[in-house]
Amino acid sequence: MASTIENTDVKQKDPDRAVVVAVTSREVFEDGAEGDILALRDDMARKLLMLMHEMNERLQQESAKELLQFDVVLITTDSQQQQQSSSIISSTKHHGLEISRFCFANEEDFVESLQTNNVQLFLTSDKSEASQATQKGVLSALLDHQEASPPSDQLRIMFCEDAIIQPDTGPTPANREAIQGFAAQLGEIRRRFSLADSPLCFILVTAHGSKDSCASSLLTLRSSGISVDEAYCLAGAPRDPIMPLLQPHFTIRISFSDLEE
Amino acid sequence: MVKMSLDSVQVMSGQAKELKVAPSSNGDSRGSWEEKEEFHQDNLGLTTKPTPVTGRRARKVEGGVFFPKPENAVTIAVSTRVLFRTDREQKVFQQKGVEEYLRYQIEHENEPFAPGPAFPFVKALEAVNARLRELYPQSEELFDIVLVTYNHAHVGIRLINTINHHNLFIERFCMTGGSSPIGYLKAWHTNLYLSADSEKVREALAEGIAAATMFLPEKQTEVSESQLRVAFDGDAVLFSDESERIFKAHGLDKFFEHERDNEDTLLDHGPLKGFLEALGKLQKKFYAKGQRLNCPIRTYLVTARSAASSGIRALKTLRAWGLEIDEALFLAGAPKGPMLDKIRPHIYFDDQMFHVEGAAEMGTIAAHVPYGVAQKHNAKQNTSVGK
Repeated sequence: MASTIENTDVKQKDPDRAVVVAVTSREVFEDGAEGDILALRDDMARKLLMLMHEMNERLQQESAKELLQFDVVLITTDSQQQQQSSSIISSTKHHGLEISRFCFANEEDFVESLQTNNVQLFLTSDKSEASQATQKGVLSALLDHQEASPPSDQLRIMFCEDAIIQPDTGPTPANREAIQGFAAQLGEIRRRFSLADSPLCFILVTAHGSKDSCASSLLTLRSSGISVDEAYCLAGAPRDPIMPLLQPHFTIRISFSDLEE
Repeated sequence: MVKMSLDSVQVMSGQAKELKVAPSSNGDSRGSWEEKEEFHQDNLGLTTKPTPVTGRRARKVEGGVFFPKPENAVTIAVSTRVLFRTDREQKVFQQKGVEEYLRYQIEHENEPFAPGPAFPFVKALEAVNARLRELYPQSEELFDIVLVTYNHAHVGIRLINTINHHNLFIERFCMTGGSSPIGYLKAWHTNLYLSADSEKVREALAEGIAAATMFLPEKQTEVSESQLRVAFDGDAVLFSDESERIFKAHGLDKFFEHERDNEDTLLDHGPLKGFLEALGKLQKKFYAKGQRLNCPIRTYLVTARSAASSGIRALKTLRAWGLEIDEALFLAGAPKGPMLDKIRPHIYFDDQMFHVEGAAEMGTIAAHVPYGVAQKHNAKQNTSVGK
């Protein structure tokens, strides 16, 4: 039975205006014994949380009553983690992580938990978890702990369009409807910052499509509220050599080019 | 002045053909380049008219490679300011800042840009590609033109519309939104980078990438649409600047003496040697199919060296490198302008702004290679050729 607990150390966000992002406990913490303070898995989650927190602060600088904020939820997705609830809570506080809520769920009900918590973006490195969430309409993005470490002063969100359907590479790509709500709010956050030196950056990569499919993605994202900052059309050129240059924190796979529909 | 080649310079009377206006691409997929192979040819003219394919889903193909792999192709990266004319937009940027500039671009999204200084060069590259595809339909050894700009992606739609409007076969691009494009140049094995920004060009040169700065010409004479013509200066472009150093430090006599003494020592290579080499490889593909007389690529050396003396070292070096150059023109110090005007290259590379400006005054498309000792001299001159 899933439970949701607030983090009393962190200010709670407005449920209507906040962009709710969930990240699994396995992305943040190493395994440990119950009762221990858990070590951080690596720097990735901590930096991600810090970036969102800094953006929240900047948004509030302009207006103290600002309700548009990132709202981060830590979720457990298996029973083993679910049972570590008190360790997870105390470790979060120990490391000073800006997590507003904890969702203690297991394999069976974590997706439902994501839904009841109005999670707009679910971050995990587990492909199967991401697929399950996507199937139930929760937008998911894969984290990659192997990727070269992205910058600490800018949250870089990559939208990647793949005309090739490759089996077993994670959740099915999101169509326009799936990113709608998330895009609108994220776009609004982006607009509060200037064009240069922004703490938030949107990247579009069209891996195999033509420039026209790239144009169509640019327009679709724009009408959903996101004006992309950087765009790359690879036309089949390998992506690996440029990943260290793109440095996304996470990638949302999209598929907008359903022209026959 | 001695012309080393007995060929008369083929000057095509290039009429500027009216380019067919392509429909705005928003929402239409153009399909893969395999469909673009259906083109029409008139005489020598190689105006390619791709068959537009509307309403198609992006093709899901095994492997999905639409365009040549970067390491197989000769990758030519161009920036927006050299491929197109964006001077009005530049003014908006300079006078009103980036937000206004981007707003202006979006407002004019459906107005294609006019061609810029690198446009004829890119068109000529495409003409060569068309011929290569005829002869070698499966080969990836083609020119691959990539748009590399540090423009913000807000300009993306306008750029894509413009590419479609002019019927250009450019499918790869990168808009870095402000950060340096140099990393992408390296990742895509760029053989030549053309930009209006001399700083970026210097950065590229420092990374071993052939690069040159192009400027907005006041006049531009017509060039061939069927034969790509590339002209190179010798010292500090194809060759290193070692001889120029001697000339600048010790004068002409010492220069001649040094060249004579070192006649049998190869010159070291310069930043554009690799590009000449890449052109040579493609030329050989035409020769292999009996197209030597009809080759759509022609290369020229236009140097102030003199045939009887200092020129010998240059020729020996080229021969030792296994590089053929179609015409070597030794001007022995005479002005380059008139000769270039006869050649009408799609691009002429020189390390000295003095020559670049002189060529541009006569309507030659000239690009500056900011390499070597001549740059210290350039810094003192006021570049009057507009950007």
